[in-house]
Amino acid sequence: MNPDFLWQEVHPKQWRNKISELIDSGFIYFDFLTGVDRENVNSESNCEVIAHLAQPDLSDSRMIFTQVKSQLASIADLAPASSWYERECAEMYGITFTGGDSRPLLRHEGLGRPPLRKSVVLAARVLTPWPGGAESEIKEDGRKMGNVSRRRQRPPGVPENWLKP
Amino acid sequence: MKHSFIALLEDKCTSCMLCVRECPAWCIHLDSHTVAVTEEGARRPKKVNVLDSFDIDYSLCMYCGVCIDVCPFDALAWDEHRALATTNREDMFLGIEDLRPSDRS
Repeated sequence: MNPDFLWQEVHPKQWRNKISELIDSGFIYFDFLTGVDRENVNSESNCEVIAHLAQPDLSDSRMIFTQVKSQLASIADLAPASSWYERECAEMYGITFTGGDSRPLLRHEGLGRPPLRKSVVLAARVLTPWPGGAESEIKEDGRKMGNVSRRRQRPPGVPENWLKP
Repeated sequence: MKHSFIALLEDKCTSCMLCVRECPAWCIHLDSHTVAVTEEGARRPKKVNVLDSFDIDYSLCMYCGVCIDVCPFDALAWDEHRALATTNREDMFLGIEDLRPSDRS
């Protein structure tokens, strides 16, 4: 398998054309479709959508990806297996697949913002005190000696304003 | 070696907190204090960390092994023990005594 051909980026407007083209050239096994939020935690502008299609004997496959603002044309009529993935992607990443099935798959409607976006605050990270924040005290004969407070530590991957002051 | 348990070798731990800070599940809790030890001939007392408690909350641990990787003193290791099923969450909180490796307990 040639890795140069494995990953191919397409413009969102070419999404359906590209998938249709691949299906016509024998990539009829639709493996999966998913979203990836590559933005930093404060931006909501873009989300990537990736689809993987393969030859039925798995001799060759393609990862097609595109940068999406908020809408993308559904490919459910071209590859019916993609319908569930699109519904999952819609509720987890907040992407609207136009022309697809818009029913929620796992989450209740109106349950808040799409949870797999990086900008969504994980409630447990706000409510739970971080165990790594504890500092040790210096004691000599049971009495506190000096101040050991170093630079304030932050948990890796958690934005500063998420933590309790 | 089975990756079924993370054991603590208490005597190697220096309470550096690296495992606690790197744990993505926030399941390690460590408490320590520093004692100033005055050695003969030394100009200033030496500060030594003393481990008071070390707990892994096995109801949160996802066995990723990051703590084992980051420990600079190899005080954490995979072990063949298991964190046994319990009827309440508090019992999944294992301390220094419970975290001994299988060949030492």
